[in-house]
Amino acid sequence: MYKNILAAINEHLNSEVAAGYALHLARVCKARLILAFIAERKMTGESIENAHKSMHRLFEEARNAGLQVESISVAGDPLREIKRIVTHESIDIAFLSTRREDIKKRFYAGTTARRLLIGLPCSVALVRVVHFGKIHPRKILVPLKARIAHLKERAFFTARMAEAFGARVYLFHCTRPVESFFLGEIHLTPLQWEARLPGDISEFIKVLKQSGIESENSLSPGTAGKKIALEASSRRHDLIIMGASERSLLASILRGNPVEELLREPPCNLIILKPRHGD
Amino acid sequence: MAINSLAKEEVLRSLGTSEHGLTEGEARKRYREFGPNEIREARKTPLIARFIKQFTHFLAILLWIAAGLAFLSDYLHPGEGMATLGFAIIGVIFINAIFTFVQEYRAEKSIESLRRLLPFNVKVVRDGREREIPAREIVVGDMIILSGGDRVPADARLIESRYMMVNNASLTGESEPIALHHEPCEGDLLGSRNVVFAGTTVLSGSGRAVVFATGMSTEFGHIARLTGTVEPGLSPLQIEIIRLTRIIALIATLMGIIFFLAGRIIGMGFWENFIFAIGIIVANVPEGLLPTVTLALAMGSQRMAKRKALIKNLVSVESLGSVTVICTDKTGTLTQNRMEVKGLWFNGAFAGVEKLAEAEMLCRVSYLCNNAKYLDGRYKGDPTEVALLKAVREYVGDLESERIYEIPFDSERKRMSTVNLIDGERYLLTKGAPEGILDISTRILLDNETITLKEHMRERILKAYNSLTGEGLRVLGLAYRIVAADEPLDSGLERDMIFAGLVGLEDPPRPEVPEAIRRCREAGIRIIMITGDSTRTALAIAREIGLVKGEPVIIEGEEFRRLTDRQLRKRLSHEEVIFARMTPKYKMRVVSLLKELGHRVAVTGDGVNDAPALKGADIGIAMGITGTDVARESADMVLLDDNFATIVNAIEEGRAVYDNIRKFISYIFSSNIPEIVPYLAYVLLRIPLPLTILQILAVDLGTDMLPALALGAERPTQDLMKRPPRRPDERLLNIKILSRAYLFLGPIEAAAGMTGYFYVLYSNGWKWGEMLSSIDPVYMQATTACLTAIVITQVANVFACRSFTESVFRIGFFTNRLIFVGIAFEIIFQLFIVYHPWGNGIFSTHPINLRIWLILIPFALVLFAAEEFRKLIVRRYGV
Repeated sequence: MYKNILAAINEHLNSEVAAGYALHLARVCKARLILAFIAERKMTGESIENAHKSMHRLFEEARNAGLQVESISVAGDPLREIKRIVTHESIDIAFLSTRREDIKKRFYAGTTARRLLIGLPCSVALVRVVHFGKIHPRKILVPLKARIAHLKERAFFTARMAEAFGARVYLFHCTRPVESFFLGEIHLTPLQWEARLPGDISEFIKVLKQSGIESENSLSPGTAGKKIALEASSRRHDLIIMGASERSLLASILRGNPVEELLREPPCNLIILKPRHGD
Repeated sequence: MAINSLAKEEVLRSLGTSEHGLTEGEARKRYREFGPNEIREARKTPLIARFIKQFTHFLAILLWIAAGLAFLSDYLHPGEGMATLGFAIIGVIFINAIFTFVQEYRAEKSIESLRRLLPFNVKVVRDGREREIPAREIVVGDMIILSGGDRVPADARLIESRYMMVNNASLTGESEPIALHHEPCEGDLLGSRNVVFAGTTVLSGSGRAVVFATGMSTEFGHIARLTGTVEPGLSPLQIEIIRLTRIIALIATLMGIIFFLAGRIIGMGFWENFIFAIGIIVANVPEGLLPTVTLALAMGSQRMAKRKALIKNLVSVESLGSVTVICTDKTGTLTQNRMEVKGLWFNGAFAGVEKLAEAEMLCRVSYLCNNAKYLDGRYKGDPTEVALLKAVREYVGDLESERIYEIPFDSERKRMSTVNLIDGERYLLTKGAPEGILDISTRILLDNETITLKEHMRERILKAYNSLTGEGLRVLGLAYRIVAADEPLDSGLERDMIFAGLVGLEDPPRPEVPEAIRRCREAGIRIIMITGDSTRTALAIAREIGLVKGEPVIIEGEEFRRLTDRQLRKRLSHEEVIFARMTPKYKMRVVSLLKELGHRVAVTGDGVNDAPALKGADIGIAMGITGTDVARESADMVLLDDNFATIVNAIEEGRAVYDNIRKFISYIFSSNIPEIVPYLAYVLLRIPLPLTILQILAVDLGTDMLPALALGAERPTQDLMKRPPRRPDERLLNIKILSRAYLFLGPIEAAAGMTGYFYVLYSNGWKWGEMLSSIDPVYMQATTACLTAIVITQVANVFACRSFTESVFRIGFFTNRLIFVGIAFEIIFQLFIVYHPWGNGIFSTHPINLRIWLILIPFALVLFAAEEFRKLIVRRYGV
């Protein structure tokens, strides 16, 4: 599925970590890795130098890992240039790191990250790095909705990431509590919850299994954003891989946005995947 | 690879820094990018929103609608007093809201206590120069300089260290010092010896470390996040009250609609009928329920405080009563945390502590390789060392020697050594875990002779060691050797030792614990012990205190980590479970799994990293004496004496509170029928309304309140801790209670009310079908008689409701003196309503003569006798 992987580098340390994830994915997918640095006009010389150093380190690491690796350094508007590289190099998935401005703005509206997430014609993995001591995950949490768009790509991505790091996968589905007017919230045991496992999640498990990845599954009633953070914290997960939000701005304002909640204060490193490959 | 497994150069490279630290510019950039190094509180619902919520829950909405209808009614038909009713209902909404808000509001201080564990300033290297900066300005990649006494500001990887010892108690709960180094190592980050963690303390030595996680990303931030985010959910009582209000709402609305329709059918005017329907709804809503419940909980918490259980969250009073599992620590809770030497093994044989004088070297090592002190008639120091010192002082006496060197204890070596001058010679004295002592011993002291420690002798020692741990003893190995005059005093001294013997120490169980455990068994409450001790020690103590009878499931920390949730749930469903060699960080998972299985869980804790489990459990119980501020702030209850038996006493009180809430619900609901029947009579019999809406409120929010509260103070009954915990599907208001109130006690009260009403009317020449003005003194006297009848019969009902099955004479008429206070208030308030002009003015009443009281009193006696007879039938035939 992923033959050409792009990792966007900038002057920040987190972009190097994000590119590290791309490098490991490229290794297990035997894909070509393209490291790209787009120098914006306002950038200082020191920033450009830092970014080049990062590129150099990653390039060396990729070459030592036996990967087919290329690096591109250009000046210009990040969105336009990355879009051009994606099209020109037939990129299947691009790894981008978030910046503080992405988290500060509600629903990260108007940020470069959002523009890239929406505007790139390939799958996008938006990486938020908060822990530099756990960049090689051992436990990956994958929150899933009842209906999963691009199921196969998400399962493939999860499986390959787990394979790349030898990590265990934990699927988590946050559901609405079972309630009745007179009895209030009804407690269900884990076995009873399992019997209510949505079809798409069963299919996701099947696809993971076909890729040789076993997973542990759990369901919990409650508010998605909060519950996912709690699950990741209490089970000490190293990485969360979740799908990009499909909620409109209005729906996000009215019903909240779990992706935004997690982006703002993730308990561990977080990858938000916006898949583009059809099932 | 993880940060702990990287070489120094790789660490610096991966964190984008160098030996000269970050540049100021880069540090500023990272600060902007990653934010300050601080513990932040999870976003919470604002206080104002929480207050507003008290006005928008189901019962409040119901009351708002009732108030709205009353105002509408007053607007359309002025002069009926409906506006007063509307204001009264709004008053009730506010009282309920304020009561509940005050009860739910608790200043969140656990995060504040966590913050206090982080330092204010820290030394860093930036631009190659050492400088001190505020700890909140630390960023990923900063090189920090640490030395003895420093608090660690962030999670960092050591790249240089000199004899560095840290105390990680705030993270792991283990107070033993840990020796650190800077070499790469594999394994879990938290267990790594080359990593320092935020919130921990450097005990000695020094080092340089590179920061890899700051603020909420640190392990410490992880605890803060969990502590701030975990919510135990609604308490069983809160859930039951929601259910109760919904049932009441349904009953009230249905009755309102049915009687509205009935009124229309018999030809009543729309607005007259409408007011009547509102009256029915108001009569059904127990306005005083929430304040009464809150006050009953407050009284319960005061009783618990007298029994050394300090309740921080009122709802927890009742939650305690519903607990099905207690997850408890061992040391200090089940045991006294006061070690005593119980057994010895020397010269190849077991011996009692009284033989200590016969083992000279055992005494020397125990006394001299020891940091405990006996000062001003008191022992001070670590409980194990105190026990050794005390034993030698008691059986041998004080020993004199100069200590010239010490190799402190650390959790990796699991031993401590000192070099002492004894009779002019330098002795190396060592005590510690027997396996470790055996590893460094090559000889053994047998009958004052030193011989080579051969394999068969090692096996004998291990057998003796196992035998002592099997008795629940903590075992230490002791060894010594003479240090040559030219031998340097350093950490390499611990070798070629002479094994002197074993000492078995016991942390005796608290004397009250076996009885408390027996009571828990009778009450159907499971107890799960979670301890850091070895399996043998844990099992032995569990057997001694009666915690286990058969073959329990024992899960060790390492196994716990490996097991999946499904596997753990299966093991947890076993009747007797012990967790051994556990660290507090796993408690949260145990609590979550038990809750998933439908248990109501109480958990004890004292350390910083117990905080998430304390917050997540249905009842978090912190230790008042040994507990940290963070644990106390996170808990729902604080044990003032750290004693397990206090938890069981508190559970008994909690169960009593639930029973008492049922009693006063039954009491409050009984008066609904005599409040509804007058309305029915008004519609169906076409008579003047026998009880006005304000008179209903006088009962619900006036005369009924204190007697109901007094019922909330009933003592726990004898059988309370012999019943199993109540089932989750057991309702606060069930058919039995409802039918007793509505079909048995209520009708007697209604009969009294209507008798009083008609007696006044007929004795004043009233004719059937004659409608009276609302200010007619005869009508006002009649309604006053109806109201008085309800109050008089409610006096008898208080006694009737003291038990659902036991006779009042058996419980003891005077065992709850508050009942008499409540009744006195009830009667005085009623006298005010009947005889004081203000009371008459507010409640539209008129004074009645003594004869009417005398006519009504027999109804109270009938109610009391009828209830006693019902209880007799119940006791005799079990119906």
